[in-house]
Amino acid sequence: MTAQDVRALVLVAFALTLPATIHTQDATFDPPRTEWGDPDFRGHYLPGQYQPLETAANDSWTPPDGANIGQGAAFSRFFEPDPDAPPRPERLTTPMIIEPPNGKVPFQPWAVEQRNEIMARQDDLAHLDPRVKCLPSALPRAHLPVGYNTYQILQIPGYVVMIYEWNHLYRYIPLDGRPHVNSDIRLGMGDSRGHWEGNTLVVDVTNFTDNTWPVGHGAPPEGAPGSALTTGHGVFHSGDLHVVERFTMIDADTFRYRATVEDPNVFTEPWTIEFNALRRAPADHMLFEYACHEGNGRNISLMTGVDVDNARTGAR
Amino acid sequence: MPPISRRELSDDAVRRAVGYLESLSSGSTGATASLYEGPRTPEGQPDLNGIWQVLTTASWDIRAHNAQDGVPAGLGVVDSDDIPYQPWAATQQQENYANRLTADPVRQCYLPGVPRVTYMPFPFRILQTPDHVVITYEFAHVVRIIYTDGSDHPLPNDFWMGDSRGHWDGDTLVVDTTHFNGQTWFDAAGNFHSDALHVVERYTPTSPFHIDYEVSIEDPKVFTRAWTMRMPLYRRLEGGLQLLDYDCVDFLLQSLTSTEGGAR
Repeated sequence: MTAQDVRALVLVAFALTLPATIHTQDATFDPPRTEWGDPDFRGHYLPGQYQPLETAANDSWTPPDGANIGQGAAFSRFFEPDPDAPPRPERLTTPMIIEPPNGKVPFQPWAVEQRNEIMARQDDLAHLDPRVKCLPSALPRAHLPVGYNTYQILQIPGYVVMIYEWNHLYRYIPLDGRPHVNSDIRLGMGDSRGHWEGNTLVVDVTNFTDNTWPVGHGAPPEGAPGSALTTGHGVFHSGDLHVVERFTMIDADTFRYRATVEDPNVFTEPWTIEFNALRRAPADHMLFEYACHEGNGRNISLMTGVDVDNARTGAR
Repeated sequence: MPPISRRELSDDAVRRAVGYLESLSSGSTGATASLYEGPRTPEGQPDLNGIWQVLTTASWDIRAHNAQDGVPAGLGVVDSDDIPYQPWAATQQQENYANRLTADPVRQCYLPGVPRVTYMPFPFRILQTPDHVVITYEFAHVVRIIYTDGSDHPLPNDFWMGDSRGHWDGDTLVVDTTHFNGQTWFDAAGNFHSDALHVVERYTPTSPFHIDYEVSIEDPKVFTRAWTMRMPLYRRLEGGLQLLDYDCVDFLLQSLTSTEGGAR
């Protein structure tokens, strides 16, 4: 059993002890303060509970003709539930999407087609889930509930710093009102600029690449396929993706997370997700090394037939 | 923070105090005699927060080497330019060197290990709090969380970047790193180690803009004795500087999709 296996079991055990309450009201909790007076967000955190991205009703995705999903592709084994897996945390049924009110990703018509094409071609390296390829999670995906991610938040005057265990990602969020970097610069986790609105940390994120998924790893409700839109899989974005996040402590151990996703090239209007994204970890928690790509060659070979292990870059 | 009485009884604290006094009485020019006069944290340690980078050619070869196409020449960073390989290991290193363009783990975008990540030609950012020093690197978004809370290494495990525990020795940040997986190299020239690697880094600021970076290497499976490399770390001073991305995996996968994957 690897450290990651142990971690997964511990997370499951811990999650099962938590109430499934959803807080939809604005928080009134007054968090402690850092030595320099900012709300104190420091600590180690576990992800939230599984929750569908979209409403389950009338799931908008059906496999297009010729799709190989569920027809023996290694891909389907990756996404569909493993009967031998340990029990997962209780799943919430409320959709994460609170805007628009129908609880659906407001795709432009062409983008629905593109999304279907992406999901139909998960055996192609170019279309494969970027997280399966060990690319950065992007946002808000880095905060969507998964059983194998944990978080550490550190603060120094002028900065909030978030470290993500999955694939050793991090972001520095400066709070001094500086502008975003040059618009030609592209960053896997985007370029974050934050400020405090009362006790809420508001983060404006731009300068994303165009080869990540903004969401993914929400949980499908019972009976829905792993490829359903309720997971968020296959939702894509352009380089004009703009995300505004709000982190609010609703009690001493829990963060309410809201993210508004805007991309005029892909969606007809901005859409917003909200859920409890961070739960304080046990006192002895530490982030382990999550060396994603290093062990991923066989995974990718199975799914796409592409031999990653014998590829080389010019890095030296 | 433990009560004073407990701190006084801590073996580690006693050892540090004795070491400090000995360094004074022996007239040592060691790290504890630092002349650092720069900014300090509220806890009294030198404030290392900021973006740093090396200016050596150690990333290509930690020993003295001539230039090659795309590789700048360098005088090396190893004391006496002498890596005390056991005979079999010297042969292995030569083999690694001959095959370096395919055998170097970094060319497969694997995590570069310690100390190699420090002297790759990319900036890194130090985030210093009372109980942590976190170093985030631009190369492959590597993160090292160095606990300076007095905790010890956890049960043995194997990590690409090892497990790092730090403490302050006077004005020097000492970082002890073990539990490596033995699959990383020291440079692009095939200098290597095993999973028995034990790295002790000493970060001694000598001004607000310079850190003396000294690394002692132990690996009884590969070397006949401990050895040391050292180089300065320079603070990057450009206004508005921030770490950007070098997502090695992205480049590797792109090269695959452009040559074969895209045609599928």
